[in-house]
Amino acid sequence: MPNFNFPAAAGWQAKIVPGGRRLPNETMSQTKPILAIKNLHVSVEDKEILKGVSLTINAGEVHALMGRTGSGKSTLSYTLMGHPRYKVTAGQILYKGEDLTAMPADARARAGIYLAFQYPVAIPGVSVSNFLRAAVKARRGTELTIKEFRKELREQMNRLEMKDDFLSRYINDGFSGGEKKRLEILQMSLLKPELAVLDETDSGLDIDALKTVAGGINAMTGPDLSVLLITHYQRILNYITPQFVHVMQEGRIVLSGGSELAHELEARGYDWVTQEPAATTDAAVAQALAP
Amino acid sequence: MTETKTASTIARQRVDDLAARHGEAGWLKEARLSDWELYLKCPMPTPRDQDWHGTDLSALDLSAFTAVDFQPVEPKSPPEHPFVARTLRHFSRRAGVIVQAVGRPGYIELDAGLAARGVILCDLSTALREHGDRLRPYLAVPAKPDLNKFGLMARALFNCGLFLFVPPGVEIDLPILSMALTGGATAGSAIFPRLIVLAGDNSKVSLIHASAGEGAGRSGGGESAPVLHSGLVEIQAGAGARVSFLDLYQFGSNVVSVNRSEAAVAQDAEFTSLTVALGGGTTKSDIATYLQAPGAASWVSGLVLGSGHEHFNFNTIEEHNAPDTRSDINFRVALGDSSASVYQGIIRVARVAQRTNAYQQNRNLLLGGQSKADSIPKLEILADDVKCSHGATVGPVDRDQIFYLMSRGLTESEAEELIVLGFFKTVLESYPVAEAVDWVLESASQKLFRKPSGQTPAI
Repeated sequence: MPNFNFPAAAGWQAKIVPGGRRLPNETMSQTKPILAIKNLHVSVEDKEILKGVSLTINAGEVHALMGRTGSGKSTLSYTLMGHPRYKVTAGQILYKGEDLTAMPADARARAGIYLAFQYPVAIPGVSVSNFLRAAVKARRGTELTIKEFRKELREQMNRLEMKDDFLSRYINDGFSGGEKKRLEILQMSLLKPELAVLDETDSGLDIDALKTVAGGINAMTGPDLSVLLITHYQRILNYITPQFVHVMQEGRIVLSGGSELAHELEARGYDWVTQEPAATTDAAVAQALAP
Repeated sequence: MTETKTASTIARQRVDDLAARHGEAGWLKEARLSDWELYLKCPMPTPRDQDWHGTDLSALDLSAFTAVDFQPVEPKSPPEHPFVARTLRHFSRRAGVIVQAVGRPGYIELDAGLAARGVILCDLSTALREHGDRLRPYLAVPAKPDLNKFGLMARALFNCGLFLFVPPGVEIDLPILSMALTGGATAGSAIFPRLIVLAGDNSKVSLIHASAGEGAGRSGGGESAPVLHSGLVEIQAGAGARVSFLDLYQFGSNVVSVNRSEAAVAQDAEFTSLTVALGGGTTKSDIATYLQAPGAASWVSGLVLGSGHEHFNFNTIEEHNAPDTRSDINFRVALGDSSASVYQGIIRVARVAQRTNAYQQNRNLLLGGQSKADSIPKLEILADDVKCSHGATVGPVDRDQIFYLMSRGLTESEAEELIVLGFFKTVLESYPVAEAVDWVLESASQKLFRKPSGQTPAI
């Protein structure tokens, strides 16, 4: 693997980070990065959406990615999962040191990457239980007996406060927003990924559902799971505490910091990031990271 | 195509011989002969004919086919055949079974209690000998004016089939199974089965009929002559009756199958029909429903799964001939490889049929890069107070659905198979015999999984 020169975007980030603090884009840590995104450029139908994203996530870390609608957050999540509509035109995505760019979505899923969709698609006629069984079999490589599968399923469903009749319904067909998000987290709990990308999992949830879903996610985090939590609002970060927060704007990560950055954003809005980026953000990050 | 090459002329001698061999009653022979005369006058269909839109059988010489019969049925044990075994396993709770086969003895069983209450289930030859009087009012009637040359040929030469009679007021909750195994038919042979179902007033019955001709010259192609299957189904649902009929075809690629089914639905009767086409070189079927009296209702659905170079042409005909009648059509087609389908659906509402409520839906899923589907809905409405609508879609599998399933580790072909089976399942769930749902889906999934590797369509 040749030495990778950090491109412009990463360099800019380096500038705004006070020295001495380990931030995610520096891979000098002892822990091996589970995900290293380097200067990623992505186009959809020849329109460039991501314009040089760099981001490193180490094993067991929880990162939040915030930003306005249209800033490229969902493009990043689809690209990480391998959606064929999103074309990588430059840069690399290294998962456990291996370049994912040419790997189809199903192989990524079997390797331990999971995407909780912002808008999970309905598949009429395919029951949740049949689907979950097929997915678990694909991820683990072995088929569970119906008894084992039911037992595991029941535990996870209880935790997410889901009723049994969920299983005979068709995937996301006629589901409420909260039901869809619960199903995304239920799948995650069964597939046991090593890297989970949660795309606006908080959107469309009332406060009780948000607490339940966040509880489900918290129960899974730990040394074996790294999380990239994509969100528009700070609200879910009251329940899930990230070690790192990144702000995305116009296809680039323009600001990175600790969990306090989320509160700063909530208080001051995204415009604050845009205006006088260098000076303001320097000060803000310094303040945010101050002990 | 020149006249000499496809004369398709059947000598009267064939009809005479058939009637003599079976010792048939005079009225039946007369009926055969009048259909034979109509057959001679009826031109061979061409792809330009409205009802045949794109289906070309003009190169077939109908006179060259040799008719084959099913062997007699016996109440001993069902023939050993994987399809029969699988079907009997699925429907372990059933009211009766009839298995008929080319080249081997068939099998029959009927619940003794139902037999005692006057239910009749038998092969058609037996029925013509023993229940001729019951059959005569339905067989000695002129063919419908839109019956094609193949249907007229079948009316003149039918030689096997089934008779099911349910007396008024008798409700049969469990399904009756009928299996026709045509795999023993050799190249150049023809089978003309005719199914007659008479459901008396306020009776209830479900007939599940499967024609399986797998293995018959499956190597197919080349110069070998096809096997012709030309079937007729006639169903009478008496006043207040509830009748359901499932018709599944699973033929090899050498089979040309041209079928016509007709159901007459009387006052307040409910008729449910499900046609499942899982294979055949060329399959052309007309499914006609006649809503004859107020309160009559029908649900007609179809599932078609094509692969290779299979060609399907389905016409549904809904005739609303009385006021306050309802019909609902739901036809779903999934086509892989280079298979093709034409669906035409017509709703005809007679002047008297006020307050008709009719809906027709046809959805086509193109799985193969070379597959092709046409959908031609038609309405002919003479009454002025009706609710009629139709909708049709043709398109590939939703890429976002494929991606969603792949993002959970399923391969592209596993994802596609789940989606296709789901596409079918939403039609099946309204079918009144619950056991049939898994049986049909399993049959469909067997065909999906047999898909040759490397032919997985690009999604």
